[in-house]
Amino acid sequence: MGSGIEKLRDLLEQKKGDIVEEWIRRIQHTYPEETASFLEEEGNQFANPIGASINQSVWPLYDEIISGHDSDNLYKCLDYLIRVRAVQDFAPTAAVAVVNFLKDIIREKILDDIESQGLFREYLSVERRIDNAMLAAFDIYMKCRERVWEIRHNDITQRPFILSGGMCASYMLRRGKKHLEKMKCGKNPSLN
Amino acid sequence: MAKELTPQEMLRIDLSPPTQDWMDIPVEIKPGIYCYPAKPEKIEIVGMPNPHEWNPLDDDWNLPEGWKETFLEGMRERLDKHRSFKIFMDICVRCGACADKCHFFLGSGDPKNMPVVRGELIRSIYRGEFTKAGKILGRLAGGRKLTEEVLKEIWSYMFQCTECRRCSLFCPYGIDTAEITIIGRELLNLLGLNINWIQEPVANCYETGNHLGLLPHTFVQNIEFLLMDIEEFVGIKIEPSFNRKGAEILFITPSGDVFAEPGIYTLMGYLMIFEHIGLDYTWSTYACEGGNFGFFTSLEMAQRLNAKMYHEAERLGVKWILGGECGHMWRVVHQYMNTFNKPVPTMEEPVSPITGTKFENAKSLKMVHMSEFTADLIKHGKLNLDPSRNDHYKVTFHDSCNPSRGMGMFEEPRYIIKNVCNHFYEMPENTIREQTFCCGSGSGLNAGENMELRLRGGLPRANAAKYVHEKYGVNMLANVCAIDRAVLPASMEYWCPEMQVAGVSELVANALIMEGEGPRTMNLRGEEIPGRAPAEEESEGNEDV
Repeated sequence: MGSGIEKLRDLLEQKKGDIVEEWIRRIQHTYPEETASFLEEEGNQFANPIGASINQSVWPLYDEIISGHDSDNLYKCLDYLIRVRAVQDFAPTAAVAVVNFLKDIIREKILDDIESQGLFREYLSVERRIDNAMLAAFDIYMKCRERVWEIRHNDITQRPFILSGGMCASYMLRRGKKHLEKMKCGKNPSLN
Repeated sequence: MAKELTPQEMLRIDLSPPTQDWMDIPVEIKPGIYCYPAKPEKIEIVGMPNPHEWNPLDDDWNLPEGWKETFLEGMRERLDKHRSFKIFMDICVRCGACADKCHFFLGSGDPKNMPVVRGELIRSIYRGEFTKAGKILGRLAGGRKLTEEVLKEIWSYMFQCTECRRCSLFCPYGIDTAEITIIGRELLNLLGLNINWIQEPVANCYETGNHLGLLPHTFVQNIEFLLMDIEEFVGIKIEPSFNRKGAEILFITPSGDVFAEPGIYTLMGYLMIFEHIGLDYTWSTYACEGGNFGFFTSLEMAQRLNAKMYHEAERLGVKWILGGECGHMWRVVHQYMNTFNKPVPTMEEPVSPITGTKFENAKSLKMVHMSEFTADLIKHGKLNLDPSRNDHYKVTFHDSCNPSRGMGMFEEPRYIIKNVCNHFYEMPENTIREQTFCCGSGSGLNAGENMELRLRGGLPRANAAKYVHEKYGVNMLANVCAIDRAVLPASMEYWCPEMQVAGVSELVANALIMEGEGPRTMNLRGEEIPGRAPAEEESEGNEDV
């Protein structure tokens, strides 16, 4: 006879298909109705990149939340899902809240079983893991937003227009980089 | 006592998208998805109507008096003038075949980015203002009146379409939604509602011949800098000519390649290829822009800016024009140039002086694509190549929208890449060739302020690039478009940071064995080629004295 947590994991494993499919459906329905229908119906991952980002993230994410031991993998699983939502028309809360859907779904689907088998205490630790996954999602969301701003910044500083007059931007930037590299190496650079 | 909040109410997380009909959902213009408006002085330079100050985030756009009549009269004129536009307004049955084909829809999930709905934005005005059924039945007949709110919606979505024409490929009636966008933007231009990222290059191009506003000496100077790099990395000194009368060929390429990375490496590639084969050609400091942002403004503006190509060919007395790697430049050149402007009688049917190949496809146009020219050189064994110099690259090819869907060029770039690189992998078939996904920033939307929009639009292409990166280790996204080279690095930085971007001619030049060249331990980017580092840098100390 296994421990309580093992019994709970077995239960969550048995219901995995049911739970994850509902989780995916609810994430799809954070988009307008016409879009959600498309995300549900189109199975080709290249014709449906948002759908692909959800599918590729949520299945392994479920495993990682239920029984994972690898924090890096947790971030990896969440990355594509959150990366896509971070540039779409979602408030920050709405972008990461999709992780939390899992709590509602588990409660709806198997709370009775959890209670009847006396696994409620063990289930609290699963909820804690879901909370942690949402915190990780927030980290990723912030990194993505910072990345967008970095890219915007790079785009502006490397933009050809900022130069008036005589020098090729890329040429000067590269010369500058070389100059810095030589400085770092302790050499005495000449800019000529 | 106040009502207790539910957990959802507590955080104000709204996860229920709007459920109304699209016509009832008001447009929301948000930072990150729109481009800044055109500066009035840039509109004045080219004499376009109604230049004025306005801000897309304000309620009042300072629209000119009689704006509604101006818009509708403009629409009436275009319905009469362009039979295609009239047909596209009449025949759409809203079957939805195009709905899920747009990169902006696929990346944003916004149903108004379905091409059918983007078209409906204008079609609903057509029905509501021009057809009897629409005038009488209104919404029942899919019609509505033009109001300020509707105008704002049209503005927002006309600048969320890159005119890539992927949707048109799937329309059973052949409706080209890009042409609806083209007309839509023309109508907005009648009211002074262009975006500055298009208008300023147009004004620059009108004044200096190129989008960047480079004066002739600057244009030459920048190419000279690149020649210095070639000398350093390749060991070859090249002295091209500028504005030389009597040259056999005039070479025209987008000015983006003169200035910005990684386009400059493509331009270095052109210089090296031409030197290698001893081509009798010249650059022009007047026709110094292949691109044409006029095409994103109005067809008349596209025509005005395009005129310099044949003018310059005539002034310099060249036989034909060779065009660099560019996207929309080739849409304009291939599909409009010789009807926009009269070909010069002294020009001849292009014949490669190196191989003798007649480019019969360019008989009327008298302009040949760089990839056609290079593929022919390779086919005839005129380039001495060492593809192993590109062995550190695992390459895939992104078909740019206009050369692929606009002129049907699929094989030449692939043929070239396979001859200059040993590792080539295709992206999935529903993302390449005629089904290629746009970079997400074409048609003048490559500004910085609309980065979220660009990243959304870039997702479908990046999704396929990420797949070949993960499956085969692909690390180089080759293409034949200057806008691709300008914008894909930003997109890849977000979606697939290990992927670099290069023009095809850069890869050719890396592999090119030139007479008298140095040890070739560096590529054109000044990076050491793995496994080819010099044994010992003996003279390093002297350099720094």
